[in-house]
Amino acid sequence: MEAFSSLMGAFVSICTPSSLLLMAAGVAVGIIFGSIPGLSASMAVALFLPLTFSMSASLGMNTLVAVYIGGISGGLISAILLNMPGTASSIATTFDGYPMAKKGEGMRALGFGIVFSFLGSVFSFIVLTFFAPMLADVALKFTPAENFGICLFALTMVAVLASGNMLKGVLAGMLGLICTFVGMAPIDGTTRFIFGISDLKGGFAQLPTLIGIFAVSEILIFAEKKNEGKIQKIEIKPVKGFGFSLKEFVQQLPNALRSALIGTGIGILPGIGGSTSGMLSYVTAKNMSKHPEEFGKGCPDGIVATETANNATIGGAMIPLLVLGIPGDGVTAMMLGGFLIHGLSAGPLLFVKNADVVYGIFAACMICSAFMLIIEFFGIRGFVQVLRIPQHILMPLILVLCCVGAYATNNRIFDVQSIVLFGVIGYLYHKFGLPTTPFVLCFLIGSMLETYLRRGLMQYKTFGAFFTRPIFVVFFAIACGVVAWSVWKEVKASKAKKSAAVK
Amino acid sequence: MFFKKYGDIVISVFFMALSAVMIYAATLLPKSKVMEIGPDFMPTVVGIATLILSTALLIISLKNLKTRIAEVDANPPADSDYKRMLISLILILVYVFALKPMGFIVTTLVYLPIQMYVLADAEHRTRKDIIVLLVIDVIFTIAVFFLFRYGFKIVLPQGIFTINL
Repeated sequence: MEAFSSLMGAFVSICTPSSLLLMAAGVAVGIIFGSIPGLSASMAVALFLPLTFSMSASLGMNTLVAVYIGGISGGLISAILLNMPGTASSIATTFDGYPMAKKGEGMRALGFGIVFSFLGSVFSFIVLTFFAPMLADVALKFTPAENFGICLFALTMVAVLASGNMLKGVLAGMLGLICTFVGMAPIDGTTRFIFGISDLKGGFAQLPTLIGIFAVSEILIFAEKKNEGKIQKIEIKPVKGFGFSLKEFVQQLPNALRSALIGTGIGILPGIGGSTSGMLSYVTAKNMSKHPEEFGKGCPDGIVATETANNATIGGAMIPLLVLGIPGDGVTAMMLGGFLIHGLSAGPLLFVKNADVVYGIFAACMICSAFMLIIEFFGIRGFVQVLRIPQHILMPLILVLCCVGAYATNNRIFDVQSIVLFGVIGYLYHKFGLPTTPFVLCFLIGSMLETYLRRGLMQYKTFGAFFTRPIFVVFFAIACGVVAWSVWKEVKASKAKKSAAVK
Repeated sequence: MFFKKYGDIVISVFFMALSAVMIYAATLLPKSKVMEIGPDFMPTVVGIATLILSTALLIISLKNLKTRIAEVDANPPADSDYKRMLISLILILVYVFALKPMGFIVTTLVYLPIQMYVLADAEHRTRKDIIVLLVIDVIFTIAVFFLFRYGFKIVLPQGIFTINL
């Protein structure tokens, strides 16, 4: 009940006109970024970070949450109307959304997507609000040994993430780990690999690195593309309400509940994120359906499954972010940057020291979901117009904003230059078919891993003593299991491929 | 084409070289006096792991090179406009290095229209389009500068062109 009363208090305190206005604006900007292919939710949060400087910590974080929620949900608009997923989370939405739009049911498809995005996020936020404080209580008792175990487990998720081409995926992550070694070593402060550049003493700053990898690389990738077909004209027929009946709504509820559970569960695991949860939930819905043959031809069930799950991932992903300070994907990594610039450190102590900020975030999540519903419902025509802004105008403006954002973090021009370096790395990753998410995950977790390992060794003297901590043993075992399982799966898949090639 | 065919080999050689250099550089780091593992421990571990993984990737991709080339030749990837990418990269580099000495307003005013023109396709390079670009350029640059100056109290690099309002 304590959680409930704190939540109510937070609702009251964030319901000021200025904060509501900022959240509404954040959701709207997020939706725009989400809906334009090539611009992602992470990019939107990156660009909003410097704008939150002058705000109070709570207000700033709430605005970022708004952008995050809008950004994940916005992908459905272009997925349905243009057959181009605005974000990776909405890939599976195109499977049924676009066929529906072609049949002239575009508005109905959008209606399903919007309503179930909303329900998915609300479900996950309820889970977040009631579980995160409990988990934080447990996490408070963690010693460096447990934290090391969790970081190790989070790193092994890179292997799962990279399935299909595991060697490349893991190597992609290794570069992220290597980048964390630059600068002063934890504990003793020995400088490593700085090549005489004194700006590198503090290591690569997180924010410029992420902005470079996510945003600057997109501009180079865009520049390289030969011009493709133009965006076609989009017809929207007006419908009443959201375009579906109460009966249809009730029929979708079991599907929605299952998808919300999948989404939240996937969200909690670090490194997997919205794109996987959307796909997984789509496939599950198809397998469980009584009429699987309709999937892919314009079946609302597919939209409901994907959109519920990808929005439910948000609440799930916020759990490790807030409780342990471990980001699960690109967007939560940027959110972690938001905590940093406000002088907060995400982790169990946040629940003790800055409970107002934490519950403010919970309340903001709920309010922003409602904004998302309203803004997407009434603003759909406006967003369709935005999709027509040519990218050759948009991309340079974004680059300038990236530079300004990187500069504003520390007032160092060096940070601006380093976003270009990481932009080039991101571009090369794209060219060589290396995934960027492992890089980001390893880059963020790598320094934590080393710090916890060395701090733990100071405390326990030997590594063997780590095994006296049961929670460490559990996570260590899971980590080993995950690695073994992914390797086995990879070997099996490559054998199957070979035998198929022989035939 | 090149990236698709030989990309994996290039990556593995790059990572092998990088990890070898890192393992060597780690041996030069001072050892810790207070505990068993010092600042050299993690770089060495990660370096060895990277070396093993990249060697494995090299072996596998050399083994599969023939099938890989055949696969790529069967469905060639879309052509890439490297000239436009390189011009954009050079523009961005010039922009970030000129930002401090020249100041935000001047560099951005110059950078934006050139970059937009480079990225635009042939149909969007008429006189009318260029005027639109210039108008967007001026409004955007001034708006961002003042938004940060007065809205967020962050002074962007002023360079040669100072505004004191």
